[in-house]
Amino acid sequence: MQSTFQLEKKANGTKRLRGQPSTIILFLLPAAILFLTFVIFPIIQGAYISLYKWNGLGPLENFVGFDNFATMFEHEPFHQALIHNLVIIVLSIGLQLPIALGLALLVGRKLPGRTFFRTLFFLPYVISEAISAILWSFIFNPRFAASEIINAVLDTILPFFDPGPWLGDPQKVLSAIFIVLTWKYFGLHMILYIAGLQGIPTEIEEAASIDGANQWQTLRFVTIPMLSRTIYTTIYLSVLGSLQQFDLVWLMTEGGPVGASEVLTTYMYRHGFVSFKLGYGAGVAVVLFSICLVFSLIYQYLFMREDYAGAVE
Amino acid sequence: MRKQALFVVSMLVIVGLLLTACGGAAPTEDPSAALQAQVAELQAQLEAAQEDADTSDLEAQISELQDQLAAAEEAAAAEPEEEVEPVVVSWWHITSEPGPHQEAWKKMADDYMAANPNVVIEITILENEAFKSKLPTVMQAGDPPDLFQSWGGGTLVEYAKAGLLKDITADMAVDGWGDSFGAGALGVYAYDGKQYGVPWDMGAVGFWYNKALFAQAGIDAPPATWGELLEDVQIFKDAGITPIILGEGEKWPGMHMWSYLAVREGGKEAFDAAYLRTGGSFADAPFVKAGEDLQDLIALDPFQEGYLGMGHDDSEAIMGDGGGAMMLMGQWAPAVMATTSTSGGLGDDLGFFTFPAVEGGAGGAYDVLGGGNGIAVGINAEPEAIDFLRYLTSLENQKVLAELGVAIPVVIGAEEALTDPNMIMVSEAVAQADYYQLYYDQFLPPATSEVVNDATQALYAGTMTPEEVAQAIEDAYAEEIGE
Amino acid sequence: MTTTDASRPVKKRGSYLPRYVIAVIVSIMIVSPILIAVLGGFKESAELLNSPFTLPKVWILDNYQYVLTLDSFWRQLLNSTIVMVGTVTLSTISASMAAFVFARMRFKGRDTLFNFFMIGLLFPLMVAILPLYILMRQMGLLNSLIGVILVEAAFQLSQMILIMRGFFRSLPKELEDATYIDGGNAFTFFTRVLLPLSAPALAANAALAMVFSWNQLFLPLLVINDEVLYPLPLGTMQFFGQYTSVWSRLMAFIVIAALPAVVFYLLAERYIIAGLTGGAVKG
Repeated sequence: MQSTFQLEKKANGTKRLRGQPSTIILFLLPAAILFLTFVIFPIIQGAYISLYKWNGLGPLENFVGFDNFATMFEHEPFHQALIHNLVIIVLSIGLQLPIALGLALLVGRKLPGRTFFRTLFFLPYVISEAISAILWSFIFNPRFAASEIINAVLDTILPFFDPGPWLGDPQKVLSAIFIVLTWKYFGLHMILYIAGLQGIPTEIEEAASIDGANQWQTLRFVTIPMLSRTIYTTIYLSVLGSLQQFDLVWLMTEGGPVGASEVLTTYMYRHGFVSFKLGYGAGVAVVLFSICLVFSLIYQYLFMREDYAGAVE
Repeated sequence: MRKQALFVVSMLVIVGLLLTACGGAAPTEDPSAALQAQVAELQAQLEAAQEDADTSDLEAQISELQDQLAAAEEAAAAEPEEEVEPVVVSWWHITSEPGPHQEAWKKMADDYMAANPNVVIEITILENEAFKSKLPTVMQAGDPPDLFQSWGGGTLVEYAKAGLLKDITADMAVDGWGDSFGAGALGVYAYDGKQYGVPWDMGAVGFWYNKALFAQAGIDAPPATWGELLEDVQIFKDAGITPIILGEGEKWPGMHMWSYLAVREGGKEAFDAAYLRTGGSFADAPFVKAGEDLQDLIALDPFQEGYLGMGHDDSEAIMGDGGGAMMLMGQWAPAVMATTSTSGGLGDDLGFFTFPAVEGGAGGAYDVLGGGNGIAVGINAEPEAIDFLRYLTSLENQKVLAELGVAIPVVIGAEEALTDPNMIMVSEAVAQADYYQLYYDQFLPPATSEVVNDATQALYAGTMTPEEVAQAIEDAYAEEIGE
Repeated sequence: MTTTDASRPVKKRGSYLPRYVIAVIVSIMIVSPILIAVLGGFKESAELLNSPFTLPKVWILDNYQYVLTLDSFWRQLLNSTIVMVGTVTLSTISASMAAFVFARMRFKGRDTLFNFFMIGLLFPLMVAILPLYILMRQMGLLNSLIGVILVEAAFQLSQMILIMRGFFRSLPKELEDATYIDGGNAFTFFTRVLLPLSAPALAANAALAMVFSWNQLFLPLLVINDEVLYPLPLGTMQFFGQYTSVWSRLMAFIVIAALPAVVFYLLAERYIIAGLTGGAVKG
């Protein structure tokens, strides 16, 4: 995705063919039919449903205007879910991305055997959420030795560590989820960084070190600024990905215990589907969608302006 | 700008037209339709001809064509060897673990199909959680299976109110089907005087305990009161034995503890007053007191490590492997322990005792919190589906389940087939109950149930007080019934 | 510290060691969950539960054998493959056609329309699941793999159009002029010139769509009733429900269920990574 920016750059100024309306329509038709039918239509339907109090059964009758949204904004668990989303986003940007960047620098360009490590680090990305959830539920399960061993190791390394159950402790469950998310997705970001790094000519960094910059300074003042576009892209993907995460959280904890790992998507599922409050659930979906949209627009405007080709990247 | 808008709008219109065209233009190649038309036409000719002259020729033509029509319909729909178009009955059940129970279900369906060659029973086996995700979607889309697993109560009521379930009240009267069930069991699957499903299992929640660990701790009799239970918990703690196993990750196991305490504290009166809004509320003293009683237990830290996030299966496995002294659970516990534990269950060491009496509570010691499994009937079910359901809940098939120990039968007389002493105890507890309360999370409407589960879990986690728990449930219920 | 050209190679070679140490530590953390599963499949359940990180004392083949001889497993594999191929074909064709228009043609409202197509990036399939379900029922798409394919393809469009548009734009305009001078039209240019030249980008896109389709869980769960039509992730959940206690068998199942995706990734790694990065990564 990041490449589009680079490619667009090259293409700037190229005159485009003025298309015949019939050709345009013909070529857009298949995508338009699919997209309008299965993506846009359900969204509009969802937005419409969100204005009703509806248990999902029987006709849509009880129009309530924006009541669902008013209830939502006052609902404490909704705030909690929103906060958990924010925590995951902050952790992703503050920890997961730097780790990915560090590893990209580490194995990125010169290390012999780097393709091997790269392949390995990216592997979890292709393993399905269902399988990942089963695997990690096993590892975190306090019944089995795996979590005991991990706790013992961590207890030795980290002096302030509190050994105990992971998914069963409201204090810890979000960290557990974050560990799994990092395991599964950091490879994606690392790959993007590696791609970005390869676009930076080594001469520039060498020139900096000849000018007396140490490694840290070179990284801080040369490499990272030159990577800024990739970094913006990864942050963007990371935020959207965190907001949209559902499968892993639902399969591992269903948002529990005591809502300690509830995120917007699981909140929507619980209060929309499980509780038979479809109108309300649709309202949560609208809010989630709006958050993504507003974030996209602002973020693109602030950080990705030069690449601004579409409303979203 | 306007041109752009025009373009987009025209695109949308084109696509819309195409879609409707696609939707409409789906002619099914059905030879019988053509034949039907031909028959109709000839019949019209016949009527015209009858008025004046000889009709035998036309009549012969008609009968010949009608034979052809029947043959074509058979060929179109039926398996080659079957003679009439089969009625398909869809049945969703959740006995997803392979074993005698699942085989028994299958055999019942096979036997029925063998006896009724015109019926095809399509079984969909879903794992419990998958079932709970999937059923609401098909129901909300107005597309219920003919027969499906149900626990009765509030969820069933919602479906019934929405007209998604079939009223089988009249069928219950035929051949004494309704009278074959034990008292009270049918009511769980009825709403507003109409029957929408039938039970096949009806049990009680109670404490399952490990006799060997009780002996090891020097406790010779199960606790009869809540106070004794608390004392026993302390004895177990001192002996280094985990007193109670609880899979609170799924919320309902711990909710049962609170509900049972509410049943003991308030009895039928308090619940009815709150539920029927006859001067009571779920924030009343007995419901708060239930939370306080539960807090007394939680304060002793009686549960296994990580219980707050542990699933039901895992908790059963721990109990089945001898990892704890007691577990509050329904009649399915022994079966689940046997399949989930590595040891295959506790065998003769497993015992059952009813929920202890609570000193000073308004509820009697014989009052039972329980529930069971049943099968609801979807609105589109054919008479064959109901007939099959009748067969499933026949005395003979109820005895099969009872012998396997996978159900506490609901049909009178089938309980004789129970062999397991613990299951007999559960069955007796149900039979003796003065007041039988269906699990709160099944009985109450779905959104309230969700709050009951969430709030009681918060009590375990220490994030809500007993008053707050009771108030949250009251608020949710008041909102749901539109107060 | 100044680094001179002469000292640089020496210093570099020396600095590989700590890098390897870190890379190996991270590798262990990434791979150990996977290894637990792979090795667990060769163990007795009790051994798996008690010593998850060690090699099996005795290598047992029963679990893997059990899974590999399950009819349902092969059926699910086939279903997943059908859905994957269908999704990839449908989405690649329709997305590249649309991307062609957005990349190489000028008309009023193009950017608005393009932005409109990008909405698909902004929400997960889950949020529209109920309206989708109702729609699919009306169209008679329930309980069919075709329905799953259509929806998955539709939800892949935004990303694909985005990637393909970028790629198409990067191709020189002269190609186009040449086609038109030779008397070709947009269609011939698209099929004879653009698509063949875009093979790497198409492959990359296809690879991403494959991973997406292969791992979908909730859509098939809600849409497909017939167990015969279950794809793998759904089969995995079903198997999980059936064998909650037999962990080693479960591990064998998830290893084998993940294997096609992993093998596929190893074979198509270049393309997947190229898809994510627009071909910027080299060996």
